[in-house]
Amino acid sequence: MSVAAVFVNVLLFLLLAPLFEGVMRRITARVQSRQGPPLVQPYFDLLKLLGKDRVDSARNWAFRLAPPAAFASILAVAALVPLGSKVNALGARVDAVTIVYLLTLGGVAVLLGALASRNTFAAIGASRETVTMVMVEPVLAMTLLVGAARGRSLGLGAAVFGGSAAGYGLSTAVMLAAYAVALQAFAAKQPFDIPEAEIEVLEGAFIEYSGPDYALFRYYVMMKRMVYAWLFAAVFLPFLRTGTYAGDILTQLLGTLAVFALVALVGSTNPRLRIDQAVKVYAGLIVVALTAVGLAVAGL
Amino acid sequence: MNADLFARLFAAFGLLAAAAAAAPLVARKRRAAGAVALALVSGAAALLLSVSAEALFGPAGPALRTVALGPVAVPFLVDGVSAVFLAVIALMAVASALYSIRYMDHYPEYGLGGYYLCYPLFVLGMAALVTVDDLALGFSLAWQVMTVASFFLVRFERRKAENRRSAAKYLVLMEAAWVLVVAAAFLVDGYRFGQPLAEIASGLRATGALPSAAFFGLLLVGFGLKAGVWPLGQLWLPDAHSIAPSPVSALLSGVMIKTGVYGLLRTFLFMPPAGEGAFDGRAWGLVVAAVGAVTLLVGTVQSMKQSDAKRLLAYSSIGQVGYIVLATGAALYLGTTGAPALRLLAVAAAVGALFHFLNHAVFKGLLFLTSGSILYATGTKDLNRLGGLIRLMPVSAAVAGVASLSISGMPPFSGFSSKWTIVASNVLAGGSFAAHKATVALVLFGVVALFTSVVTLACYVKFFGMAFTSSGAERHAPGPIREVPGSMLAPKIALAAVALAQGLFPALSVGLALAALGRSEGFLLAGAMTAPSGPFAASALGVGLPAFGAAAAPLVVLLLVGSALALGALLRRAGGAKRVEAPTWLCGYQELNEANRYADRGMFAALRGLFKFAGGKSGK
Repeated sequence: MSVAAVFVNVLLFLLLAPLFEGVMRRITARVQSRQGPPLVQPYFDLLKLLGKDRVDSARNWAFRLAPPAAFASILAVAALVPLGSKVNALGARVDAVTIVYLLTLGGVAVLLGALASRNTFAAIGASRETVTMVMVEPVLAMTLLVGAARGRSLGLGAAVFGGSAAGYGLSTAVMLAAYAVALQAFAAKQPFDIPEAEIEVLEGAFIEYSGPDYALFRYYVMMKRMVYAWLFAAVFLPFLRTGTYAGDILTQLLGTLAVFALVALVGSTNPRLRIDQAVKVYAGLIVVALTAVGLAVAGL
Repeated sequence: MNADLFARLFAAFGLLAAAAAAAPLVARKRRAAGAVALALVSGAAALLLSVSAEALFGPAGPALRTVALGPVAVPFLVDGVSAVFLAVIALMAVASALYSIRYMDHYPEYGLGGYYLCYPLFVLGMAALVTVDDLALGFSLAWQVMTVASFFLVRFERRKAENRRSAAKYLVLMEAAWVLVVAAAFLVDGYRFGQPLAEIASGLRATGALPSAAFFGLLLVGFGLKAGVWPLGQLWLPDAHSIAPSPVSALLSGVMIKTGVYGLLRTFLFMPPAGEGAFDGRAWGLVVAAVGAVTLLVGTVQSMKQSDAKRLLAYSSIGQVGYIVLATGAALYLGTTGAPALRLLAVAAAVGALFHFLNHAVFKGLLFLTSGSILYATGTKDLNRLGGLIRLMPVSAAVAGVASLSISGMPPFSGFSSKWTIVASNVLAGGSFAAHKATVALVLFGVVALFTSVVTLACYVKFFGMAFTSSGAERHAPGPIREVPGSMLAPKIALAAVALAQGLFPALSVGLALAALGRSEGFLLAGAMTAPSGPFAASALGVGLPAFGAAAAPLVVLLLVGSALALGALLRRAGGAKRVEAPTWLCGYQELNEANRYADRGMFAALRGLFKFAGGKSGK
């Protein structure tokens, strides 16, 4: 329960998110028989974007507020999660339901910015982003609920680690299947990178953003991927638990790295689905996840 | 001791009646009539608020008084629950009355005599309905005054045939609901016309299984019609709410449908006979909770499909009432299980119902006033003909943003804590599965509620996005679009401030709900409310259910997101980037115009396909 752990969270997420992104880009490049950028390229990208012009086509406050709001909401989530298997001082004051709603807040900022930019492509991207959010956020919520049901508490420790703390239940195994598929959508990677779809809707929601505004959005996306990948490692890979705070941070980060590699591999070897196809997959995931929650409530 | 309290209550009724008599006399001077109505309604509201404050926090307990109307005695009861409803009615009535003064300029072709006759009577009917304590004469009078006055208000734009039709439908269904409720009471053993509710409740103990089930069934349908639960609400609510003048819509959605909720709360959390009897609280609890869960999902999904701003808000009211009904049903189920842990959650669910009612009244009233402002400024409520109002109506946009975030349940805004209470009390019930298998249904409903709040978010992304951001309103408006006048902004700003306070300090609303339930005799869960704050741990930072590791701390979230926002803003300036302006980029070939606008039918098309089964045509 320490305040210092909050800062450890914030620093690790801020510092490592671009590195994981670099790993993902490298793997994608290798799959496509390219050399790929250096691992630190995402840091350079962010730094470079920070110095470029901010082109403002919307001229309203919503457009200006959206990038830091997205960045802030994901950073808030990063500050709260029990990294290193330890619920920190702020995380103890909230619960799993708060995390679910906070994660949507970041999505709201993206949507607000997209619609405020007055660009039609951005509106299409926003519509797709909303559909994705509506359909995959419940999977995240139910992942935490499986832990909560098994741990009989909505506290963050129970929600994240309850699923596998007292043995790997059937419910956790079923949930793992749903989460693993949903992960591509959480990370906005193929086959579910439909909202951003560079060659189709030109990065969708982000089209009008440039310079430091765009940097904040990129940073938001990187950290969001890291949160979801970390969550996978923390919830579903109980063998990463060492018993010490520092040891758990290390193993969980290694687990996160492995998840990133997996996401990159799946992402680079699959074609993009259409949104109407994807929605059907998501609906299936929701049913699987509901089954998992039912099993967890029944104590399985 | 209570004479004073009732003297004030009846004085408030008298002032409202005086407003109905006086304001139409000066209806030729449209704004003067509005001002007269506002002054008298405000006076009445002040009295109602003082009654409410005394019932909630005064030294005396619930107050019962019988008033003779001719040969018949009419019992009145002011307890904690009616006090909360009275307070909300008072607040919203003043906000809407102030808003009406300038808003009604929007209808130069209609006289305002009828409007200002019916408006105070409508408020009077609602205030009376939550204070009468029978299902006979008093109830009927209050119900009829409320229904008939609101019928004429809904029918205000009577020159359009479809409005007359929709209003007539509204009147017929509300009369049907009245018949159901009044008739239901005769099923109770030893019922005497005009009996107070507490006596009816004790009569229920001796009533057989079948009549008792019919009694509760009829009340569920009757009050359900008023509250707008699925599938009954869909019959009248979207039509009536979207054609009424916006200040009236705000009252209809913010307060009037909640009188149905009031009826449901009284029926299912106060009337059930204590102990074992013919009444199966668990079965009824599950039925009510299931009705709530279906209502919230279907209403919200239908809302997402609308392209008319007011229809979108109206369907979303159905969805939000679903949350309250779900919480009521969950409280009934959990409260009759007998397990101590579940009874704590039952109290949490009951608090959640009142809490969400408080929040919804404010932000939905605010949203309808916002849609009224849009209509006033642009002449349309079709989202496809709006867009870009954020620069033309900046204050309205900011207020609408607060209301939209509140209803979507984004922390730290107001819907968050109340939805959190409802979701948490439902999903946590699953912990007692071994003894009570049906709790898995409540967990499922809780998940549905969580899912639906993301759909709600989609609705309001669409509402705010298509009306205030994006672009297009200038291309359709007949003249220049201006921000609405100050007297229309003032009530909206005040309500937004209330909504923000409700969001940041959930402990206040939870305290209010606990006081309301604790100060009402006959409450089903009275035995479970041993500690002064029930199962809750409330502090300035937020509320929690410490026995279940659950906590909602809007201030912590605000602090955290606020500091992160500051860091983000700092980062944005760190590189010394220059800000330049440029036109919107659409591949270099086109300019932004009506032909390349992203229309409503494209928005969430994939989701609409998936939710075809929910129905709800997207308006005209």
